[in-house]
Amino acid sequence: MDRKTKTIALCGKGGVGKTSVSALMVKSLAKRNDLKILAIDADPAVGLCTSLGLSIKKTVDDIRNDLIHSIKLGDSKNKEATLAMLDYELFDALTEHQNVGLLAIGRPESEGCFCRVNALLKDIIQDLAKSFDVVLIDGEAGVEQINRRVMKTVDHLITISDTSAKGLNVVKTIKHLAENNKAVNYKSMGLILNRVREEHEVEGIRNTSPVPFLGYLMEDDLIREYDFYGRSFFNFPDAAPACETVDNIIRSLNL
Amino acid sequence: MELFERTIIDIRNDIQKKKYVELSALQDTGNWPGGAGRNVVLTEDMAVELGNPQKDSSSSLLWTQHADMISDGKITLIGPDIPSSIGLSLPFGKVVLVAVNGFNEDNTYDRYKEMEAVRYALDLKGYMIRAVSQYQREWSRISREAVQKGFSFKVLGSELRKEYLKKDYIRAVEFIFMTSSMEDVRELKDITKNVGRTINALDKMLNEIEADCDECEYNDVCDEVGEIKKVKKNRDEKRMKANG
Repeated sequence: MDRKTKTIALCGKGGVGKTSVSALMVKSLAKRNDLKILAIDADPAVGLCTSLGLSIKKTVDDIRNDLIHSIKLGDSKNKEATLAMLDYELFDALTEHQNVGLLAIGRPESEGCFCRVNALLKDIIQDLAKSFDVVLIDGEAGVEQINRRVMKTVDHLITISDTSAKGLNVVKTIKHLAENNKAVNYKSMGLILNRVREEHEVEGIRNTSPVPFLGYLMEDDLIREYDFYGRSFFNFPDAAPACETVDNIIRSLNL
Repeated sequence: MELFERTIIDIRNDIQKKKYVELSALQDTGNWPGGAGRNVVLTEDMAVELGNPQKDSSSSLLWTQHADMISDGKITLIGPDIPSSIGLSLPFGKVVLVAVNGFNEDNTYDRYKEMEAVRYALDLKGYMIRAVSQYQREWSRISREAVQKGFSFKVLGSELRKEYLKKDYIRAVEFIFMTSSMEDVRELKDITKNVGRTINALDKMLNEIEADCDECEYNDVCDEVGEIKKVKKNRDEKRMKANG
């Protein structure tokens, strides 16, 4: 059966455990053998790769730098040939684990403006994404980075926050940027609360949440342990409460 | 325009030294189902891989206006076929030989681009292709399901041939597939390296405004392949006309 690719982008304030939640979501999605998953690590620190225990050969940024280098050398090729080359390089950059392909974006550009190169790369990423059933993007705090470097439109824009006012304020900012500034197009938006210490904290936040509340994960020593020791979240126990919560959230997205 | 006739002869001479089988892309293999544009084959679903970047690959498209140089529908296979290579990642060599009509200084490069695009337009279920024409690399994967359903070089050749023949200037298509060894693929790469350089020279000549022939890395190609000089002459005349 032909399926339309569904895209999930996760964003939120730095340090709220966004990458661990992303890794748990990838693990949950990977259990669905009928799906092909493209996980995109859009955080320059490439934390998702570490959390999934996968090493990367090269990032999209490496490909971009090679292309800029070849353009500077005057190695000009027609656009079709360049697109085909980028497609080849991008697939070569993919790290595979079962039904998951992982792509790391790398560091943002440090010098000069290469909008056309970035636009070409974005086109190619979007083309590659079409061959997968689900694309999950672990983004930076700034939602505009998703648009600029990865994709213009996502299906589910998921914000992650801890219970702090700062984290929740960033959720409001993301909502504002997405809605009013059109920083990224999305079909639905939601909030996952992470590192909850006391269940009673949840109710108040749920009631005042600026975006629909998708679920919450308790402060979890096992997650902390996996983070601390750099263990792969693919091996995180299925029966753990965090996995159950994430499985439920994934189910609620009707992918 | 005579660009690759010498290379076609060299390829044929090389093949004669190797063990090969001949197949036909003319026999009906049925219409292979399309992949609906979802052409990613991950390792988990993969039966056979050809030309992984860690291995060697060589892929070229050569054309001639001498129809007698091309045997339409003929596939020459050097090395094992896809169904007998399950679980393997093989080096890959591919040569597409095309008999064409009406190529001249004006249309050759555009038609090359059209022919080059054919392999990407092919959307076969369970067959993934990634290629870099400027480095003559081609990397493909065939899914387990596709192999179970009979995917082979005969199917690939037949589907590719149908796609090429949609161009009204293509009269015949012949294929050489090579999976035998890295050494054989490297040998093929060496024989066909001038194909890539000739295309690059054409690209540079037509797309760069200020191409300085004395400084150009393809100077030797233009000296060797007289037909490229005709393209250059045609280009210069057009530019002069445009500049009044």
